This record gives sequence, C-alpha cells and structure tokens, in this order.
Amino acid sequence: MSFANMIRRRLLFLLLVVFGVSLVTFVISHMIPGNPAEMIAGDKAPRELVEKIYKDMGLDRPVLVQYFKYISNLLQGDLGTSIRTQRPVLNDILIFFPATLELAIVALSISIIFGVPLGVISALRKDKVVDHIGHTVSVTGISTPAFWLGLLLIYFFYGKLGILPASGRIDSSIAPPAHVTGLYLVDSLIAGDWPAFKSTVNHLILPALTLGFIHLGVVMRQIRSAMLEVLREDYIRTARASGLSPTRIVLDHALRNALIPSVTIIGLAFGDLLYGAVLTETIFAWPGMGNYVVLSITALDFPAIMGFTIVASTVYVLVNLMVDLLYAALDPQIRAIG
Amino acid sequence: MKWNTFIPAMSRRALLVGTLALSAAHLPLQTLSAAELDVLTLGKAGDPDNIDPAVTGTNNSFTITYPAYERLVKYNGSASDVIGELAESWEASPDAMVWTFKIAKGHTFSDGTPVTAEAVKFSFERVVKVAKSQAKQFTQITKMELVDADTIRFTLENPSATFLSLLAGSGASIVNPAVMQHEVDGDMGQAYLADHTMGSGAYQVASWEKGQQIVLEANPHYAGKADLKKVVVRIIKDASARRLQLEKGDLDLVEDLPSDQLESLAGAEGVAIVDEPGFFVTYLYLNNKSAPLDNLKVRQAISYAMDYQGIIDGVLHGKAKQMRGAVPSGMWSHDETVKQYTYDPEKAKALLAEAGVSDAKLGYLYAKTDPNWEVTGLVLQQALAPLGITLEMQENDYPTMRDRIDKGNFDIAVGNWSPDLSDPSEFVKWWFDSKYHGLPGNRAFYSNPEVDQLIRDADVISDQAAREQAYKKVQAITAEEAPYVMLFQRNFQFAMRSNVEGYVYNPMLVQMYNFADMKKN
Repeated sequence: MSFANMIRRRLLFLLLVVFGVSLVTFVISHMIPGNPAEMIAGDKAPRELVEKIYKDMGLDRPVLVQYFKYISNLLQGDLGTSIRTQRPVLNDILIFFPATLELAIVALSISIIFGVPLGVISALRKDKVVDHIGHTVSVTGISTPAFWLGLLLIYFFYGKLGILPASGRIDSSIAPPAHVTGLYLVDSLIAGDWPAFKSTVNHLILPALTLGFIHLGVVMRQIRSAMLEVLREDYIRTARASGLSPTRIVLDHALRNALIPSVTIIGLAFGDLLYGAVLTETIFAWPGMGNYVVLSITALDFPAIMGFTIVASTVYVLVNLMVDLLYAALDPQIRAIG
Repeated sequence: MKWNTFIPAMSRRALLVGTLALSAAHLPLQTLSAAELDVLTLGKAGDPDNIDPAVTGTNNSFTITYPAYERLVKYNGSASDVIGELAESWEASPDAMVWTFKIAKGHTFSDGTPVTAEAVKFSFERVVKVAKSQAKQFTQITKMELVDADTIRFTLENPSATFLSLLAGSGASIVNPAVMQHEVDGDMGQAYLADHTMGSGAYQVASWEKGQQIVLEANPHYAGKADLKKVVVRIIKDASARRLQLEKGDLDLVEDLPSDQLESLAGAEGVAIVDEPGFFVTYLYLNNKSAPLDNLKVRQAISYAMDYQGIIDGVLHGKAKQMRGAVPSGMWSHDETVKQYTYDPEKAKALLAEAGVSDAKLGYLYAKTDPNWEVTGLVLQQALAPLGITLEMQENDYPTMRDRIDKGNFDIAVGNWSPDLSDPSEFVKWWFDSKYHGLPGNRAFYSNPEVDQLIRDADVISDQAAREQAYKKVQAITAEEAPYVMLFQRNFQFAMRSNVEGYVYNPMLVQMYNFADMKKN
C-alpha cells in the first residue's frame, strides 16, 4: 500500500475515533450526577435562576439531542462555552495547548538526545562501569517523582544560584511574541524577538529537564535492550567481518534496527508527556492543559472536558500515525507490507 | 567482539550534543526580579476564571474586578459600614423601598467618558439580563428612574435593610455602557468583559496571559490618586514556589500559603504576615430530615462529640476560632452569650443513651475541594467510634456532592460559607429559613415555623436594633436545636514583603486589595 493510501485510511479512522470518543465522553459526562447550572448560579441562588440557566444551556433536552447539537456546532468550529470560565473553550485550548506542546517537545528532545546515546553506550559496554552508571541514571529517572525533582531544581537553580527562573513561560517584563503557533520558541524566532526567545529558553530549561529526565530512563533502557538484541544478530557479525568501521556499523546498522521498537515507546512517551505533565506544570506554574483539565473535571465543566477529549484523541491518533510512518521509513519490510 | 574503538567516537558525539543542549542554560538572564518600586507583584494560586462583574462570583476574580471598577458605595476602611464611592449622597424612603443616589462629579471611565446615572442604570440592567451568578441579588429592583443626569432612583420589590451593603459588592460594579460596542450575539459584551475591564476604578487590565499573569495598569482617568503604576498578578499554583519567590523578593504579596509555611515564614527577614479574623466559616450539615439525625438528642450528641480545639490546632495551626452561634464574631448580631458546644464525650454518650441510639451507621459527605474537609471527617469518625456510631467517609466530586446536598441525599456533610453582604442575614436567613431547603442555603433541611417567622419579619424592617434582637433569638433557638455543627471561622492570611505599605484589611474584602492606597518603599 502506498504512503498516501495509508495516510488517507488513517485520517478516516481518526474521524471515527473522534466521533466515538466524543459520544462516549458526552454521554458519560452528562450522566454524572451534578447540575452545572447550580455551579454557575453559585450559593444562595433561587430555584428560578438555576432553572433559567439550565434551560439556557439546553440541559433540559434529551442527551442525544444535546449531543447532535454539540457535534453540529463542532463541525462549525465551535467547541462551546466553558462552564467554569464562561469563555469559549476553543480560546482556552488555543492558549493552554501550545504551552503543553512546547514543553512536551523540548522534554522529549532532552530524553532522546541524552537517552539514545546513553542507551547505546550502555549496550556496547554491557556490565561495565559505564553500563552500571547508565543503569543507575535510568532507574533514578524512572523512579524520581516529578514534584520532588522539580522543587529541587527550583531550589538550586533559582533559590541558590539565581541563574534560572522558577515559574511561567516568559519574564513578566517581556511581552510574549505575537501569536502565530502559540509555541513561544517558534513565535519569537518568527518575530525576530531575541529577548523573548532567550527568556523562553530560560523558562523552559527546568521544567523540560524535570519532565525529560523521567522519560530519559525509559528511552535509555529501551534502546539498550534493543541494541543488545541487534548486536547479537548475524548481519552485524557479517558487517564487522567485511571490515566496516565500528561507527558505521553501530549507527547505520545496529542503531537503525534498534530504533524500530523504540519509536513506539517514544510515541507513547510523547502522549504521556502531553497529558501527564500536571505535576510539573503545577510546580513550574506552566500554563498548560494539565491544570486546565483538572480544574474542568472538578467543576464538571462538560464543554471543556469534551474539547480536551477531542483534541487529545486527535493528537493521539496523529502521533500513532507518525509512529507508523517512522516505522515505515526505518524498516523497508513494513513499507512493503503496509 | 570489541567495541572499544567505537566508544570514543560515540562519546564525542554525545558530548557535543550534550554541550549544545546545556549551553542554552548559560544564556544571560533577563532581570528576574520585579524590584521596581512602582510595580506591585502579587502571587496567586489560581487564575481568575472570568472577570466580568456580572458573571463572576469568586473572590479570586474579585482581586481584579475590585480595583478595576467603582461602585456606588464602598466599605469604610476596615469597618462594616459603607461610605460613598461613586455616590456623593443618598437617601432611603422610611420603608426602605425607594433609594435615591446622587453621583459625584469627576468620576470617569478608562476611555475618558464620565460616569453618569445612565451608566449606573445600564450596569444593573445588564447584571439582571446576563442572568449569571450575580443576577439573583438584583432582581429585587423593580424600577430605576433617572431623576437627572447624575441622580438615580431605585424602587425595590420589598423593603430591604441590606440594599446598601449589596451595592458595595463586586456584582454592583458600574460598567462603561460602551461595552455594547463589543456585543456578540446579544451577550451584552460578556465575551469581551470575560477577560477585559471597562470600569472607572484605579487599575485596568492591560494584558492577561491566561494561566501566567495579569497586568493591571493605572487608569489615567481615575478620580482618585494611585501611587503604583502597575500591579502584576502572577499565577503560581505551587505554594512552595510562591513562598520561595516572596523570600527572594520577586513577589511582593503572596496568597494561599498553608499555615505551616506561614509559620516558618513568620521570622523571615523582609517578610510580614497578615493574619486577621475572617467571616469564612466551616460547619457540618446534619440532615434533620433523616433518622437518626431527626432526633434532637442525636444532633446535640454529635455537637458534643467534636474536638473543636483539636481541629483548630491540628489542622489550622491555631489560625481559626471556634464558632459561637451562626453569626461569626466581628459581625453585628454576634452573641457571646449564646450556647457553644464543647468537646464533651461523656455528655455525648449520655445524650445518645437518652435517644436510645447505641449502634448507628452514618455517612460523611465531602469533596477534595477544601483539603481540610477530609481531615475534619476523620476527626469526627474517631470521635464517634467510641459512641457506637460508625462514620463512613463518602468522597464525591464537588458537583456531585452539591447535587446530593440539594436532594437531601446525605447524613452529615461539610461545607464552607462566606457572606456577600456585611449583614447577619447572610448566615441566619439562608441557614435556617425553611424556604431555602437544599443548596440555596438551608442544607440541614431544618424547619421551625417560629424561626421562619422571626427571620422573615427581620428581613423587611430597617431598624437595626430590632433586627439584631430577632437574629439573636434565632441563634439562641438554633444553638439549642443543633441543626448544624458549628466548627470554626478561619483567619484570612497572606504574606507580603515588609516594604509594602497601605494595605487595609476588611473581612468583607477577602482577596480584594486597596491597590490605589498601597505603595512600596
């Protein structure tokens, strides 16, 4: 099957997933006992006001009717109004999602940039000192709670050394770059705003290290075990026997094959980083989706929960698609079979 | 197989990549500290949800609406009476049904247009039409007449002794009618005002990066004087991070620090702690409609079983005061002579024996909304166990919890309450009038016709002495009948740099700061 066909099929599948997930979420969130009209009306509210708000929100209609209304609005790009913030959900997501995305991308890059070489070295030096050190690093990474590492980094780099900021995406004295992608690193480069870029980098370092370190361990272990497996293969021995340089063997032959199973892990890690960063976002006052979703759930804010679910499932399917495309790029066999 | 020859090459690559990544860490820092003397930086735990004064009902948002808008009247410093803000004078008809306000000259909205009686009328019409959390207070206005350009006359549905106090609240903020230029789909400018301000107050929102910070800039048209040029509200959810930034001088004022953090900050250099008694109370609803809590003796027994001081010392580090009666200490009608339950397990046991209850199972309904609720339940669980009552902890999410309270589907539930008006009716009326059973306020489903009558009579007279007498009587009756377990009134606490001057605390203005009078030295 051609790439184009595969992508087309996956995008169709994406629509089905979003439809299914949105239906399930919608029905469940409307079945939870609790009246959002009461939350909007607040304490000391007369029944008439609660009823009026209830009607205005269309909550008196059957759930399926409400769902189809929701979907028809969704198709017009309207995700509804948040119950908690009384602002359009789309606006909220456009603000908070890029912050999380930027942090996740940088954190993932850190875990790959450090995790892959460390994994390779550990495999090559199996059971040697380097391997033991690598093992310690990865176990520490996997088992370190984000809140602890985050606070420690803040205490040291902000509290003691005073060289890095403790919270936020950018200095309060610097205006954020004009909104293009919502990713400050990209937007500040587009705007040619050097101070904003520098400030964004400074603000990213600590939270990205915190998040990245945790996944670094996972990436490293995965690469190490995949490398060990690959290095035992016959074709590696053949390559060595035919006199290829060790560097070429490791990079072109071994690592490339070891990366295939790792791509899945990295894809999953990315999904995890996008939606599992609540603690890190809290500690570094990072204005991302994590906080927004937690607050929305505790307030039974259906439109916000729905909006998040739809964005999350879309991104998840897209990440999976990317993983499969990477697979195909890395492995000609998969490309052939499709 | 030997790979040793490969390692050095590989390590060099790793080193190079690592160095590139780390070099970013050595970029010179911009100034981290907002040390300028005309900028005040406030650290908040959460982003305001919405700053439209007609919509929002949370104190966390009032931090912004309070300095951005002016109202007809305002609280007089730290006192509970009000003085004019936009209004230079007013008079009420003897039956307290018709109120006439004269607006002072010289007040201007941030776009330079004057505040007129017409704008006042517009603002109250808007609150009612928008029909969100603030609307309920203003539906009692049946008519608004413009006597002249600067005079407005309100006619109320019923006589109201609390109307004036209502006009000092955030919902009574006067909004620039020009907001209608931003109207979308008949929303009266709600979408716009959700994150902008259009008031005549000292500071207007200049920018708001959601979840990060709100910058308030001095309104050049403000009628008063304001020293600070800017107020920056930074959102930092983690308490330890807020505290650290205060200690470093990057924040001037920090909200919502847990008691233990405040305690350890108390001696820190350059930091001052504000710790004042407040009207924010925590109490338990006993479901008066369901057995065995419909039995007076059982309710009294539970009131005697609670270790009040234990909770105050253990959970709140002593920063609270046990309630006595429904009206908190500091508000008029509070009665120091009304019955107060003490921790007395023997008495509790005797009362249960009298009631013939020796073995019962009750549920304790709570949510994670307030971290103290769970601990309070555990303390009660321990206290009730030796009395033969098994307390089952029932954690729900907050909306579900509220729904169960509204339907009376609980035995014991916990809750917080704070007044919107500086008036004892905020407690007495809502908690005890059987008209408000359920979520509106009478969450214990308590009914007593004599109490209903006392409350309803007091609501329509303006003679404060007579009202005080009625409220004291209601408190005496209800203390005896124990529909609720009155726990504690919490202190309002925050920390600031000691060079911040001019802050005045008013228990009605929690999280609302008089920025215009404040400055840094």
